[in-house]
Amino acid sequence: MSPVRIIYTLGFFFILFVLQESAISLIHFPIAGFSLYLALAISLIAFEDHNGAIVSGFLAGIVLDLSPTSNAPFGQWALILTSIAFLFAVNRDSIADVTTSPITFVIVVAGGVTLALISYLSFGALLGEENGSLGHDATVLAGNLLWTIIFTPMFLPALRRAHEYSLTARER
Amino acid sequence: MARGGGNRSRLLLVILLVTALFFVTLDLRGVSLTKGSRSVTQTILAPVQRTVSTIFSPVGRFFGDVKNFGKTNAELKQALATNKLLKSKLAENSDTKGQLAQLKSVLDLAGRGNYKVAAARVIARGSASSFSQTITIDAGSSSGIRSNMTVISQNGLIGVVKSTTSSTSIVLLLSDPSFKVGVRIARSQSVGVLSGLGSTEYSLVLLDPSGTIQTGDILLTNGSEGNKPFVPGVPVGVVVGADNSAASLTQTATVNSYANLNDLGVVSVILSAPTTAPSKPLLPTPNPTVTVYVTPAPSPVLSPTPSASPTKKK
Repeated sequence: MSPVRIIYTLGFFFILFVLQESAISLIHFPIAGFSLYLALAISLIAFEDHNGAIVSGFLAGIVLDLSPTSNAPFGQWALILTSIAFLFAVNRDSIADVTTSPITFVIVVAGGVTLALISYLSFGALLGEENGSLGHDATVLAGNLLWTIIFTPMFLPALRRAHEYSLTARER
Repeated sequence: MARGGGNRSRLLLVILLVTALFFVTLDLRGVSLTKGSRSVTQTILAPVQRTVSTIFSPVGRFFGDVKNFGKTNAELKQALATNKLLKSKLAENSDTKGQLAQLKSVLDLAGRGNYKVAAARVIARGSASSFSQTITIDAGSSSGIRSNMTVISQNGLIGVVKSTTSSTSIVLLLSDPSFKVGVRIARSQSVGVLSGLGSTEYSLVLLDPSGTIQTGDILLTNGSEGNKPFVPGVPVGVVVGADNSAASLTQTATVNSYANLNDLGVVSVILSAPTTAPSKPLLPTPNPTVTVYVTPAPSPVLSPTPSASPTKKK
């Protein structure tokens, strides 16, 4: 991943973070909320190659760690999203390129978001964070899964085009 | 992928994971660098959140309104008859009126408790990607707000100030799972601890094992040393289900809060308060209800039947 693309990706995640924190979080979604940030971050990770996915995961995590409303220690999201990005990078070679099939892609992104949230909860539990009752956490997970499945197809074409545009001639 | 490329990938992964763990360790050790970065982010986000909140507030309740579509169908049909300009003006006015009503109520509650308060508008809610329940308000340290100050709405306690910047503050809501507040039962003055559960219900654990909790008991804040983080006497909620089984070591109950945390427009941060609890409990004033007195119309007098007439045996 070239330094220019690292800067582009970081800028993209930061704009997305501002959008999530200032606009999306204001919407009262039925059945918990929707994290556009996580859905787009996981989608972008799925588009990237090995190194690109890992670096994107780390950058997405670092930006999300900046959230002033978060109770988690700084670096927790970076750790989780880097690990998930590695999982995506490894399995991309072993199963297939999920980006070619929109339905598979949506399922993979929704699964990735849920896995990220479960990892966040598990890691938080190890560190002694209080994240609510099992029922509440299950509702948040179910809500995020539902909204990710609904909204991902809407931004997928635009994200694909933006990603292709950001690639250098050599990377294409 | 070539072997060299695979090794580079693994090395990159290890470096990034170690970096993340390094940040986590620094944060857990209380290094101010990581805390400062969140404060800087909040300062950057504040003006954006304020602007977006102003533009976005009518859209924010879209899903909530959709849920009530059936109930308000008639009202919607009537509203459609008005022209577009009038509707937009009406929306603006109703938003302002709603905020004004909330502000009046919250200042009324603060006035009854002799609290010195700073009123603020809610400009953002906690992110869905973190499980914490917070709101961001448009008043910060320049308005005299500091961490660990009590935050109230028109109906009572809603949370405590978690962090501040010069122009904004983040409030940890009562419903957050990490939130705990000392409360006393107004009826018996028994003291307990109320905890958030991440939902609309709360858990009360009584500190006195011999005490009893009854459904309908009113809970008020017990107060903290120096009024931080909680001032005494603020209404918190009402007991909706008590578990007073003799077998349990502690008496527990389920509580509903007075404040509706999903409908926060304007809130107040208590800057200073009397050291003693208010002489009268600051219970939320109920909405005035219309009482209709029905006087029964005079009915024709029926002659009592012999069986119905009282008889005295001699």
